[in-house]
Amino acid sequence: MSTCVSLIPPLFEESCLEDYLKSGRTVSFTLRPTANELALFATPLDADFRTGQPTSQNYPKEQDVYVTCWDEVPTSERRLFITDTSIIFAAFRALVDHVKTNEPELMRAMEYMTAFRKLAGDYITHIQECWVHASQTISRPQEDTRFTGEHYRSMYTSLSIFQTLYLPEEGIDDVPVGDELLEWLNTHFIEPSTEEGDQLSALEKPWEDETFWQYLIRVTLRGLTKSSIFFLQALSQHPSEHLQMISEKLVSILEKHPRQKNYATEKEFFTASRRWKDRAKALRLELDRVPDDDRQDEFENWWDNISDLLGIIEGRAEVLQRVCVELGGDWKEIICTWGVWIDVGLRRAELPDIAGRVMYDVPSDPSSKEDSLHADLFLGRPLQALSVAHDIDVWLAAHLADIMIPLGLLDSETDDESKLTIRDQYVIAYADYLQSDPGLWRHTVDYLCSCGPVGHQMADEILLRVPLRLEESAGKHDAETSDGDLAEVVKDINNTCFEYQREPVRRMICKVAAQKLVMMKKYGLAISYCLSAEDWPGLGRIVDRVLNEYIAHGPSRFTSLVADIAPSLQELQVEPGPHGVFVQRLKFAVRYAEFHHRSRSGAVDYAALDLISMFEEDLAPKSWWGVLLNDSTPFLQNESTLYFSAADASLLLRRLEEVKIQTDHGYGDDYLGVLARTMNLTGAKEALKRLDVLRICLARYFARCILKGKSRIV
Amino acid sequence: MPAAMASDSIPIETAHEDMIHDAQLDYYGKRLATCSSDRTVKVFDVVDGEQKPGSGHTLKGHAGPVWQVAWAHPKYGHILASCSYDGKVLIWKEEHQQGQARSAGVWTKVKEHNLHSASVNSVCWAPHELGAIVACASSDGKLSVLTFKNDGTWGADIFNGHAIGCNAVSWAPATIPGSLITPHQTSLPGQPAQSPAAVKRFASAGCDNLVRIWGFNEETQAWVEEETLEGHADWVRDVAWAPNIGLPRSYIATASQDKTVLIWTKDSPTSPWVKTALDPSSSAAATVTPGAPPAPAGRFPDVVWRVSWSLAGNILAVSCGDGKVTLWKENLKGVWECVNEMSS
Repeated sequence: MSTCVSLIPPLFEESCLEDYLKSGRTVSFTLRPTANELALFATPLDADFRTGQPTSQNYPKEQDVYVTCWDEVPTSERRLFITDTSIIFAAFRALVDHVKTNEPELMRAMEYMTAFRKLAGDYITHIQECWVHASQTISRPQEDTRFTGEHYRSMYTSLSIFQTLYLPEEGIDDVPVGDELLEWLNTHFIEPSTEEGDQLSALEKPWEDETFWQYLIRVTLRGLTKSSIFFLQALSQHPSEHLQMISEKLVSILEKHPRQKNYATEKEFFTASRRWKDRAKALRLELDRVPDDDRQDEFENWWDNISDLLGIIEGRAEVLQRVCVELGGDWKEIICTWGVWIDVGLRRAELPDIAGRVMYDVPSDPSSKEDSLHADLFLGRPLQALSVAHDIDVWLAAHLADIMIPLGLLDSETDDESKLTIRDQYVIAYADYLQSDPGLWRHTVDYLCSCGPVGHQMADEILLRVPLRLEESAGKHDAETSDGDLAEVVKDINNTCFEYQREPVRRMICKVAAQKLVMMKKYGLAISYCLSAEDWPGLGRIVDRVLNEYIAHGPSRFTSLVADIAPSLQELQVEPGPHGVFVQRLKFAVRYAEFHHRSRSGAVDYAALDLISMFEEDLAPKSWWGVLLNDSTPFLQNESTLYFSAADASLLLRRLEEVKIQTDHGYGDDYLGVLARTMNLTGAKEALKRLDVLRICLARYFARCILKGKSRIV
Repeated sequence: MPAAMASDSIPIETAHEDMIHDAQLDYYGKRLATCSSDRTVKVFDVVDGEQKPGSGHTLKGHAGPVWQVAWAHPKYGHILASCSYDGKVLIWKEEHQQGQARSAGVWTKVKEHNLHSASVNSVCWAPHELGAIVACASSDGKLSVLTFKNDGTWGADIFNGHAIGCNAVSWAPATIPGSLITPHQTSLPGQPAQSPAAVKRFASAGCDNLVRIWGFNEETQAWVEEETLEGHADWVRDVAWAPNIGLPRSYIATASQDKTVLIWTKDSPTSPWVKTALDPSSSAAATVTPGAPPAPAGRFPDVVWRVSWSLAGNILAVSCGDGKVTLWKENLKGVWECVNEMSS
């Protein structure tokens, strides 16, 4: 079935379509990746439009884009239904997976069938609640037009009959099903109405009412014995003595109608039923003896009606079928009363055959999807049933198909072309529908991840496109929000990925989150996401960004940014891995920030140690050597204290020499590029000149070391 | 009998001064980029289908009508590509100012690609697994592929695509269909990520009525024409390669001036492409304008303008010159059915 969606307000009036098209315009679109939505807009179609000429003289000024959904977005009630039933779905899946893994041969054992029945019952309860709720809110015009009370009622009747037919109580399939079918019929298709009964019971001579006999036969047919007896007893006042006598005997027969639940064994039940029917047959002989002139009162031929009633009690199939049709009943009424009146031993396995025969004479209503679905379920045609259920509601088809799998009603093999089972195809169709509301992504993923590798792939695409909302949360509580809260959505997606083992997806989301956080200059959190994604080049790029902050803005902002990323380093040192070069870069950034922090806070001697250690441990990238050497100058110039040992000073001199030699060879930018940028110099050569001061300082420093006569003075 | 539905929404007023040629929603469906004959690209934040107030940006840089825009994968940041009648492809990047993460960023042009000698009609980013790569189709008959390198520079390959002109390009998924189904060890935290071999391949649509498939030969480091799909009787206006969702088949949809949409399927890397035409006569799409003659079977009432796959590749959207957008789905029997029709 296809659906037409019309835009309000319209892009153009329907009556103006021809003019619209004549103007050379058509409608183009783009799909929204995260929802069942598309953006529509008017665009020129003319084949020669690529002339590059402006087109504005021909077209209206407004250039609007319409974003519209091709599925109805679930209302709050529908969302609640979706959310609630997804919990049952998860429980059902967990149970099926458990049995499949541990005891696959016991999938249809009594214990598990009982559990499946219970869960199906939970679905039914929720649908029933929705039916009641939707029926009460029918007058609210803004509400969903598709999911009315009537819609949920048809789902309620359908899932209920599915449960009755395929999920027997206590998992026992091979028992008479008559009483259960009649109960389903009486629960969902109430006939005759209580009002009719009330009206008739208020009459002194109810048989004078034209509805009396129909009512009496139908309550009897429906097994509503109390009502049958009440009105049969009323016939004791009927002028015909024959009718008084027969109705009295009918009361006595109906009072003793054997019902399955009252017998301990099937054998006892069958014996009692047979004997009871013999009594009815005996009454038939008496009925036949009623003289023709006493078979009719002033209103009706009572004899014909009593004969029909007795025919049903005797178990005459042709009478039951004819009476049902005359009463306005359908095939369901015939089949659901069959097991009470015609064949008390009727089994589930016999139903498709009986249903087929009945429906040959009294077919189902093809205009009613609900009736067609019921028919397919009675006929034991699960595939056809699913197809109709899909037309009623994608929810129904998906959940029916899901239950059908452990019951063995569907082939669990995957289709060669689609690589999906029938069940998976319906569950994916439901997941497609869920995408109309991106807020339901967790449920969409849950359903998709129950559909094998293809479903998992689809779930990956959904997970990857859940907006991370980093910008929004950052803006809302800039001052008070901790970084932990900032990434709530990311954590949520991460957890889902862990649950379904979507590790590559989780890593990609962490990478994207890290990238976004870098843009927001939240480097600490960005690094923790990089680590989570094990994205080492990404880590390197973030450290470079932080180091660039130093170049652009100097040590103050740099040290505060590094304070943010320093804790990551401890985490990394605990977990060694193949990421040495990037960790080295992070270590350098942290040590260099520490150096600046100590210099500023007065711990100058420790700052000097930091500076030397960056050379000693080869932490400093060559591009930063110039900067570090330049930083060492004030320490060397300090007249009162010798912060470095002679060996330290020698190391500085060696590094300075290397920088000079490489610059002479034309590689100055590799060593002095950063220094040149921090000092706004024109290039490496100018930067090298600045380091001339250092050379003089070092010469003087060595002289002071010799004079002091010790290698290190603190 | 098609069911009717009304979609009530406030349109996004783009304030373009001329007709819009393309609109694209970003990876998360939260930002809309539009381009127009007014030579600009505009970017809007979209919340619940409506424009977030004050979120519009106008990107100026083209010297002619802008035909198409394309968003890069978010792992590269907020990056847009646009192509124009001026023969250029521009790459735009949004950067935020310090401490203004939430506020609107600043869009700057980070690359200008001007190797084409005529209008560039289509741009398409490659799957992110392949890197930051853009394919472009031009009226000069050439196709070009721009590759962003790690050192911040770009490389460009340019080669002949379709005589008369190239109309559209679309990348194949990065992984060969079916390869994701093959069981492999799931990556765990602490272990290096395992990914199937990536494939650099795209389809192009041209004024020579053909669709060509191009693959990158790693040995010769050159783009090679792998296959030619013949089936249209007029210009091929658009091509869309379906996303790979683990299905064993590859799908390509093409839309043509000849009023047909063809679905090309390939069951395995070695099997041939098989084409099927969408048949609007069997669906709601057949509801023609009163007075207009009905389209013959397998043909749309007018030129088919654009084709696009949904996220999971299970829905194909088609826009036709008759002012309607239809959505198509392959049913359980393998037949393509129209499931929705969007009209004004």
